[in-house]
Amino acid sequence: SIMSYNGGVVIAMKGKGCVAIAADRRLGVRGHTVAMDFQKIFEMGPHLYVGLPGLATDTITVAQRLKFRLNMYELRENRRITPKTFASVVANLLYERRFGPYFVEPVIAGIDTKTGEPYICNTDLIGCLNEPDDFVVSGTCVEQAFGMCEALWEPDLEPLDLFETISQALVNAFDRDAMSGWGAVVHVIEKDKVTVRTVKTRMD
Amino acid sequence: MSRRYDSRTTIFSPEGRLYQVEYAMEAISNAGAAIGVLAKDGVVLAAEKRVTSKLLATTKSTEKMYKIDDHVACAVAGIMADANILINTARLQAQRYTLAYQEPMPVEQLVQSLCDTKQGYTQFGGLRPFGVSFLFAGYDSNFGFQLYMSDPSGNYGGWKAAAIGANNQAAQSMLKQDYKDDITREEALQLALKVLSKTMDSTTLSAEKLELAEISLSTQGEVKYKVWSADDLNKMLLTFGITQPVEES
Repeated sequence: SIMSYNGGVVIAMKGKGCVAIAADRRLGVRGHTVAMDFQKIFEMGPHLYVGLPGLATDTITVAQRLKFRLNMYELRENRRITPKTFASVVANLLYERRFGPYFVEPVIAGIDTKTGEPYICNTDLIGCLNEPDDFVVSGTCVEQAFGMCEALWEPDLEPLDLFETISQALVNAFDRDAMSGWGAVVHVIEKDKVTVRTVKTRMD
Repeated sequence: MSRRYDSRTTIFSPEGRLYQVEYAMEAISNAGAAIGVLAKDGVVLAAEKRVTSKLLATTKSTEKMYKIDDHVACAVAGIMADANILINTARLQAQRYTLAYQEPMPVEQLVQSLCDTKQGYTQFGGLRPFGVSFLFAGYDSNFGFQLYMSDPSGNYGGWKAAAIGANNQAAQSMLKQDYKDDITREEALQLALKVLSKTMDSTTLSAEKLELAEISLSTQGEVKYKVWSADDLNKMLLTFGITQPVEES
């Protein structure tokens, strides 16, 4: 299957005045692991991140094309884009390729700097938006990730607690998937700062 | 003046001139002036705003200065509607380059690409040329800080100091006299503002009639585009002695 060719998983969660987005670091070719430092989460603004699990070449290409549209937006409008609007840009970019899609299922996490409101959403590979209040998952171990998140998540977690929760959800989910893992990276986005941490995991 | 050869942009006159291009330049010589000065640690752009009415809403965006990409900005003189189209084109060209090469577009290539667009309107299509001249200020890792001037014909050149718009010849000769090769950013700011104030035809000078921007490198080595606020600009005009402090009576 094309979506599980390279492997990978991304999760995002909402907390109290903060959001967190986390991904594994594996890049594989079917069963053969090729890299343990493959970037799947990209910064699109000081408080806006997008995770792109799926086919690795599309991960890179979609990130680059999104940056293009984002730069044009910020030059024309003379301001930073909000997470909700950015989600629409992502959905639009994907739907433009409705009948020959990019094989990525993005996860967006950010904080609207004007209101301080946290925002998460994910889309399918042809741009159907899903904006829940709790968490979003995408990748080769979604079933495991859903289970972990449903069990561990609770509303209004503080940034440090959110970090622990999302890390445990991610690591225990991808430990049950052969195609994901080999390290994890977690971004915790608060109103005034972003903390990036790499998590020590089993390297298999 | 061969009026019978005016109407089509795409043909030469018997003297070998393109009248539509020259008429476009005529339109620009009536527009607000803009001056650019290249320093060894940055590029300065100063422009005159043609503020026509007290009723004009002062929006946050600028009238004469535009950012094209993180490392390139421009000052505009001429027909604003034409300028908006070209600025958007320049922005798209810069982004397309970055998409393909994952690097910022070299300044000269950006200028050349935009000038190629402008040239197209002087050779085919039957459409009139753009009535805009630009001063591009930018930085790239190959050639450092650069200043380019381009006109409606699609011609461009790299300059150490240049002026476009109203009274540009007077401004250019003043710049020629006072420019020194190793000028610093601070001196360039002073030179640009001084020359601009002398060539503007308004008697009282203040920040409302000017725009000032510069391209420089931050301490971290990133290219920075800065536009001065009205307050900072007023302070600068006082420091340089271009305006006198208001007398207490």
